[in-house]
Amino acid sequence: MNNSWRQTRILWKVKRRHFTKSVLLLLGICGAAPFLSGCWDRTEITDLAIVTAAAIDKKDSNQIELSVQVFIPSSISSGGGQGGTSQEGGGVTTLVRSEKGSNISDALSKLQSKLPRKIFWGHCKVFVFGEKLAKEGIQEQLDFLLRHPQPREKANMYVSKGKAKPILESLPPLENYSGEVLRELSDLHIGMLVTLQDLDEMLTGKPQAAALPVVKILPPGKGQKKLQGIPYIVGTAVLKKDKMTGTMTEKETRGLLWLRDEMESYTVTFQPKGVKGEISLNPVTAQVKIIPQIINEKWKVLVKVKTEGAVIQNGTNLNLSSPKSLKAAERAYQKDIEKRIEMAFLHTQDKKADILGLGKDFYRKYPKQFNQIENHWNDIFAKMEVEIDVVAHIRRQGYINKPAGLSENEVKDK
Amino acid sequence: MEKGKISSLQMAFLMYPTIVATAVLGVPSITAKYAKTDLWLSPILASLIGFATVYIAYKLHKLYPKQTVIQFSEQIIGRVPGKILSFLFLFFYIPITGQILRSYGEFIVDSFLVKTPISVIMASMVLLCAFIVRGGIEVLGRAAQLFVPVFILPLLLLIILLGADLEFKNIFPILGNGIMPPIKGSIIPGGWFSEFFLMIFLLPFLTDMKKGMKYGMMTVFAVMMTLVVVNLIVLFVLGSTTSTKIYPMMNVSRYISLADFFEHLESAIMAVWIVGAFVKISVFYYAAALGTAQWLNLSDYRPVVWPIGILIVEFSFWSYPSSMDVSRYDIVAFPFHGVLMQTIIPLLLLVIALIGKRNRQRKGSNSS
Repeated sequence: MNNSWRQTRILWKVKRRHFTKSVLLLLGICGAAPFLSGCWDRTEITDLAIVTAAAIDKKDSNQIELSVQVFIPSSISSGGGQGGTSQEGGGVTTLVRSEKGSNISDALSKLQSKLPRKIFWGHCKVFVFGEKLAKEGIQEQLDFLLRHPQPREKANMYVSKGKAKPILESLPPLENYSGEVLRELSDLHIGMLVTLQDLDEMLTGKPQAAALPVVKILPPGKGQKKLQGIPYIVGTAVLKKDKMTGTMTEKETRGLLWLRDEMESYTVTFQPKGVKGEISLNPVTAQVKIIPQIINEKWKVLVKVKTEGAVIQNGTNLNLSSPKSLKAAERAYQKDIEKRIEMAFLHTQDKKADILGLGKDFYRKYPKQFNQIENHWNDIFAKMEVEIDVVAHIRRQGYINKPAGLSENEVKDK
Repeated sequence: MEKGKISSLQMAFLMYPTIVATAVLGVPSITAKYAKTDLWLSPILASLIGFATVYIAYKLHKLYPKQTVIQFSEQIIGRVPGKILSFLFLFFYIPITGQILRSYGEFIVDSFLVKTPISVIMASMVLLCAFIVRGGIEVLGRAAQLFVPVFILPLLLLIILLGADLEFKNIFPILGNGIMPPIKGSIIPGGWFSEFFLMIFLLPFLTDMKKGMKYGMMTVFAVMMTLVVVNLIVLFVLGSTTSTKIYPMMNVSRYISLADFFEHLESAIMAVWIVGAFVKISVFYYAAALGTAQWLNLSDYRPVVWPIGILIVEFSFWSYPSSMDVSRYDIVAFPFHGVLMQTIIPLLLLVIALIGKRNRQRKGSNSS
């Protein structure tokens, strides 16, 4: 009797312990739930000032000016459903704020006091350096962009002609904001496309020279508002170490793209020998191979190009359906490409900065020899000979087989 | 003490992230500092230490099949020296777990949870690991089996998604400055490969002990291949800037951009990486807890799990004032400290044990 009573007591005790344990567990789970959602320090999209583009200018006496183009989310949401009508009326989707400081982070902290939302770099795809700053060196500013966890390595880098801030301020009629214009233009490979990572690699790599696309504002047309000019790419800035030393024009840049094998959607226009008018090819594709050579202690570069294109306009009287005149046209095409590449090479040699990355190519093939001359590589580069070997073909001629608007006997089969 | 059993495949799944999890993060850049464009050769050379360590661990295990290093070192070199050596092992494994925990915390604070106090990040990880360590080796083995495939997947995904950005030319020149740079570069990953000695804490609990060696060697090979591939990806994407990055893997995964909308994937990839870090810390933690219990001749290791967890967190704070010091330890001390404790001392133990065994056998044959 006594024994069984004791047993029930123990059983009851165990049950009670089990009960308290489960209650505690339940309380623990309920207590943890509000914290696990992470809501107490959430950052909503409306708490962020999303930077779409940034410009860094040099101000006098060791000061820089940082301008950021901040996206205004409400400008898009209110225009929803109308499908772009808001932009037609010049709806402003971004605002530009700028602040001076001794470096980016200093200016940034001051800038934050002018913006009610937290500055967020994660979507910044465009960085523009002012010309003056680029001439004095970008290394110090680059450090911030590479060290800070938010700016992306894939962001595009530019140098502006003159000050960089107006580029952000312009309100392009076609795109939402000027940063987007630059990004789209770069994607078309009109000029060079240089990402933050590329720039870092160019500066830390063997040649220690970099090239950045130069942007300028296309002035607004008649009747357009003052700010409606759009930024566009006008050429290439040449940087020795981190300092800008010169620029290349648009034409020279195109040659540079040929040499770097970054050429895309390109039109070639040339004049065959002994005929009037010109032939244009588009699209043109090319494979460019740069082969470094050291022959008898002489440093030389062999550029091998394989290119082909389709006729898009024929202003001559040549009948390209006949093999003879096709050969003549191909020869002219080949000569034209040769000249282009030679000019581009001479132009980069003029600048005494190896923006083609030839130093890297030489190092890859001749590491020992390169290490010996690394210190005066730029001099060797400037005096280097180039040999160009072009194989050019015309593959297609579009919808008509003879020059348009010419009678049979005007057309020459050659 | 530990009644659970794992298969040798599960052991392989435990060991793989134990080496790879932290090795993929910082080692490519440290290796690149010395080996430059030959950084992918260094893991191949360093894996020799891994193969040697697995061999030594397995031979020791065969001599003392039911015991861990804490127990058999007493039998090999005597009670008091054995206890001292075991203490040195524990004094190696507990602080090193703290160091791993700290580098995990520093990485999270550096790149994602910038404002969260590092103590919260580290304490929550240790808490989680403590639960799994208390669960025993079987729980640990099954968790690893579940997580490791998820851990490997993003590495494969990375190769596909980065396809367009890979600059294969970066690999040249191969051995441009002779063989010395990759050898120098292999010293640091060598420290990681020596961590394979942790197998000694897992081998006694294998259901199929004979396969232990085979799976151990396969794991070393898998780790080596992973590191070679990771080093190559990093080299192809980052080129000459590899050595300037602290977490090159992170920069590489940030570089993914497919068709303008498939980007910003680093948080997904790194979330999976945390799974690897979790397995790594758990295995070290388990070894430390089991070893301590065996050193103190306890009947169960579970009661020491919580105190050791606190010790691990404390060591992670005490030992390093800054993240720079954490990586300096990895470069300056760990390759020597790790290899000494986990490869050279076990080798000496093995030699002494084999000599002792031969002497005993000779004595036995003499007396008979």
